[in-house]
Amino acid sequence: MADKLSWTELRRAVATRAGVNEKTAGVFLNALTSQLLRGLRADKMVKINGFGTFKLQAVAPRKSVNVKTGEEIVIPGYNKIVFTPEVGVKELVERGTEVGSETTDVVRSEIDPIKKLGEQAEEIVGLLADLGQGPKSEKPEEPVVAPEPVVVEPVPEPVVAPEPEPVVEPEPVVEEPMPEPEPVVAEPEPVVVEPQPVKEPEKPKKQFHFVRDLMICVVVLLLLLFGGYFFLRSQLTRWMESLAQPKENSEISIQKSEEPVVEPVVMDTIVPEPEQENSEVSIQDSEEPVVEPEPYSDLITIEEMHEASRLTWMAKRYYGDKKYWPYLYDANRDVIVNPSRIKVGTPIRVPKLTKEQRDTTNAETKARLEALRIEAEEACRTK
Amino acid sequence: MLTKEFIGMIAQASGLSKKDTEQLLATTNAVMRENLMAGKVIQWQGLGAFEIKERAARTIVHPRTGERSTIPSKQQLVFRPVNAMKEELKNA
Repeated sequence: MADKLSWTELRRAVATRAGVNEKTAGVFLNALTSQLLRGLRADKMVKINGFGTFKLQAVAPRKSVNVKTGEEIVIPGYNKIVFTPEVGVKELVERGTEVGSETTDVVRSEIDPIKKLGEQAEEIVGLLADLGQGPKSEKPEEPVVAPEPVVVEPVPEPVVAPEPEPVVEPEPVVEEPMPEPEPVVAEPEPVVVEPQPVKEPEKPKKQFHFVRDLMICVVVLLLLLFGGYFFLRSQLTRWMESLAQPKENSEISIQKSEEPVVEPVVMDTIVPEPEQENSEVSIQDSEEPVVEPEPYSDLITIEEMHEASRLTWMAKRYYGDKKYWPYLYDANRDVIVNPSRIKVGTPIRVPKLTKEQRDTTNAETKARLEALRIEAEEACRTK
Repeated sequence: MLTKEFIGMIAQASGLSKKDTEQLLATTNAVMRENLMAGKVIQWQGLGAFEIKERAARTIVHPRTGERSTIPSKQQLVFRPVNAMKEELKNA
């Protein structure tokens, strides 16, 4: 470690490496030094890519005691030069010892066998190709089986047997469309029987592979089409039903469609409270929910709850006052169970408020708001 | 001050072109890295010394569990500025 690289040695090394004479290198290095000083003075920081950063760090003044006299003195503040090597350089230095190189060697030795395995596989594939077997043959068993078929009849059997194994799907596929695959299987048989030599079966094999792949594609496409058709049909029928209903019974359909969306069954319990004056209310139960939800039919927006949302703040944002928050609860009863514990991500419908709903000087509105608030608070406590 | 600006300043002071300066700076970095890795102390006139030093292993105590563990020794690149430079920048 005591080995030193002197100024002249450094200059020479830089000059030879950069292909310039030593004088230029010296001029450059001196300029670097002087400019580094200037830069530090100006910016308190000089960054050199590929090496590190020089910084001026202020050291605050501090109190001390003169050891001889016991007098308190103040050590004035000053700047010190700090050098931080670049991350890459730092890492290079840290693993630059011999220990590091050993570990990398270990890693390499672990990687090597994998490469060899890959090469082996390539060699096997090459050998198979040389033997004249189908290049698609996936298992090494096939070449063992293939040479045997010199006996004419067993040839088609091993060919058919290994094929369904790798792909799981084709089994049911072959069973469903009976007419199509059978002729395909039947064709290669006579071909094999007539010309007895072993080389012939290769072509039917390849053809069969191709035909099989095509078959799989077609069947999968058909299945997809069927699935899509049924899905669409169910969707369509549902849509049609929803369309058909309102035409048939206007009153009932409105009840059905609006009840779950805007104001669930709970409405019955609230509504009577502010409007108890009307004796008709109790009689015309069916019309009541139809009349009430109307104010909420127009939505300003639908806002998703996030962690910091509060119904009161949303009310303040959209209506200008947080006292209107019970309306938000009322309009979202189907998604809000406990107004003080709404799940994050719940979509909150923000309805438009009518003039009457905003008018808190109106006793009726005030009573309704109050009733809603009490109910919401009840929900907070109980649920 | 970042590298680009710094290169411009060196080029102005030395009278070399910016391209040459950039190249020379890269070469200098490479030469210094190599020599440092070879275990040499670089004595840079008017600037200071760059050196790779071993930071000794030390034991630390986990403040909550009282568990003792050893931080292994490691190599560190250290820069020691020349006194003249220290003095010059002390009151910058």
